[in-house]
Amino acid sequence: MNKRMSVVIPAFALCLGVAAIARAQTPAAPAAPAAAPPAAAPAAITVDDLKAVAPPSADARAKGDPDGSLTGTVSDITVSDAKAGLTLADVLNQIGQNKIAVNFAWTLLCGFLIMFMQAGFAVVETGLTRAKNANHTMMMNFMVYGVGMGAYWLIGFALQMGGVGAVANLGGTSVLNAEHTISLFGKDFGLWGNTGYLLMHHGTYDVAVMVIFLFQMVFMDTALTIVTGTAAERWKYLAFVVSSFVMGAFTYPIFANWAWGGGWLATLGTNFGLGHGYADFAGSGVVHSVGAVTALAMGILIGPRIGKFTRDGKPNAIPGHDLTWVLTGCFILAFGWFGFNPGSTLALSGNGGLRAASVAVDTMLAGMTGSFASILYMWIRYGKPDASMTGNGFLAGLVAITAPSGFVNPVGSAIIGLVAGVLVCLSVEFFDRVARIDDPVGAISVHGANGLWGVISVGLFADGKSNYGGSWNGVAGNVTGLFYGDAGQLVAQLIGVATLLGFVFTLSFVLNLAIDWVVGQRVPAQAELEGLDIPEMGALCYPDFVLKGED
Amino acid sequence: MILAGIVVTVAGWGLAVASLGITQSTGARLGLVLVGIAISLVGILGVLNQHYMKHAIWKK
Repeated sequence: MNKRMSVVIPAFALCLGVAAIARAQTPAAPAAPAAAPPAAAPAAITVDDLKAVAPPSADARAKGDPDGSLTGTVSDITVSDAKAGLTLADVLNQIGQNKIAVNFAWTLLCGFLIMFMQAGFAVVETGLTRAKNANHTMMMNFMVYGVGMGAYWLIGFALQMGGVGAVANLGGTSVLNAEHTISLFGKDFGLWGNTGYLLMHHGTYDVAVMVIFLFQMVFMDTALTIVTGTAAERWKYLAFVVSSFVMGAFTYPIFANWAWGGGWLATLGTNFGLGHGYADFAGSGVVHSVGAVTALAMGILIGPRIGKFTRDGKPNAIPGHDLTWVLTGCFILAFGWFGFNPGSTLALSGNGGLRAASVAVDTMLAGMTGSFASILYMWIRYGKPDASMTGNGFLAGLVAITAPSGFVNPVGSAIIGLVAGVLVCLSVEFFDRVARIDDPVGAISVHGANGLWGVISVGLFADGKSNYGGSWNGVAGNVTGLFYGDAGQLVAQLIGVATLLGFVFTLSFVLNLAIDWVVGQRVPAQAELEGLDIPEMGALCYPDFVLKGED
Repeated sequence: MILAGIVVTVAGWGLAVASLGITQSTGARLGLVLVGIAISLVGILGVLNQHYMKHAIWKK
């Protein structure tokens, strides 16, 4: 036996032995059903066991492997030292790499699903606007992907994740270890990260960092595309490009750092005893609310479309040109949401990663109750089941469940979606009739009102059953809301809401005000009346159609 | 008025953050944060939006 094996095998056997003793000391479980097979006793792996494992014979492999039983065997395990042969260390290393590989594959695939949500947003927004602006609306949604990604790669990722520390589910990324902090009330307040620029800075050319970048980048792009909906049909294209770059580089990453990058909101639990700190599983606040409060700032700054309000301030309905696109886009978004929420476990293997199944079911349940609530609201109030509001109710339920999806049970998620479906209808009416902020696609209501509701609902409905590796934001135990006994968690969530409204809105407003002074945010009235496709983009989206312009 | 709206909006957030240092009572913090949120909403909808509504395109 070589020296390494002589150390590893007794240690491994000792661990299994301790586990067996611990099992024997636990209280007796209820009697198992008679049909259940007896539990196998733990046994230590020995060198003889390893020697006894043989790969399939060449003869067997020569016949092919139609049932898959010969593919993926001991012969696929990398042997580090050919002279020593297969060692227990080789086996353990392979197990570790398999765990991380599963988590890489899961997180990357979920990121790819989220990327496809850009198509969903594009067709929802284009369908809800008029045909004369279709090229312009589509092109905003198309280019927000590239503009946002560029800004995030250059600057945003480093600000957001540069101080996050090691992410155990992805094998540890300790190179992301520089968080800029200040001291306030005697505690460290993390403000922004400072490593990872261009994905080359300070050793961040690293496979785990690449996974985190891809997954976080598509989240960021989702936030950016929310603004294009509110400012549609009157936003100057150049201003859109500059505004989106600034948001991808600064506005989004700063709040995301505070919530997900180890910043001060995440440490409200460890520093001030407020539950587990601000908890936002997949981004009702970080993604949807940041996008929506920026959209709100833009909606106020840029003003309503010509014809949206009469001279006495009454709102006119301006129907979109293609409900087919709208509802198809809602389904595309719902499909992408299965990457958004379950993917936020960043794992299937270890640290509670299997909870992804519960997250996925919570997500679909909230979407369902959201659409039911909104269709019923509109049917009762206006006598007809409104298609676009039903779609918005569906999305509202999904937005609202995004933050709590990792922490609540199915009944809680259904209630959260139900409230969201009504809330989106009330919010659209409020912004139309009271605030008079023109939002052609209802983005502020879908993503803002319900994003904030989602953040708050964590502090109410988190049932204390989910455990992602023993702690969340460094606080031992499970995230628990007010209805299950922890009022402090609700306070942490509300501080997140206050930050979104008081800080993120203001930052977005000031930055876009500056862009308005330099570039100008709004197109000329004549271009708006004519439709933006020719004045801004130089080509019609539907050249064969007779379009209805305005005088 | 734009500056006033910005100041009021940020002040609401400032109160919410200050609640962390002012008191250790969860109930008191909850109250202060809710007041902070209300102040920020007044700044956004009551001051900034009202200012822009005065010059709204549909009033011209």
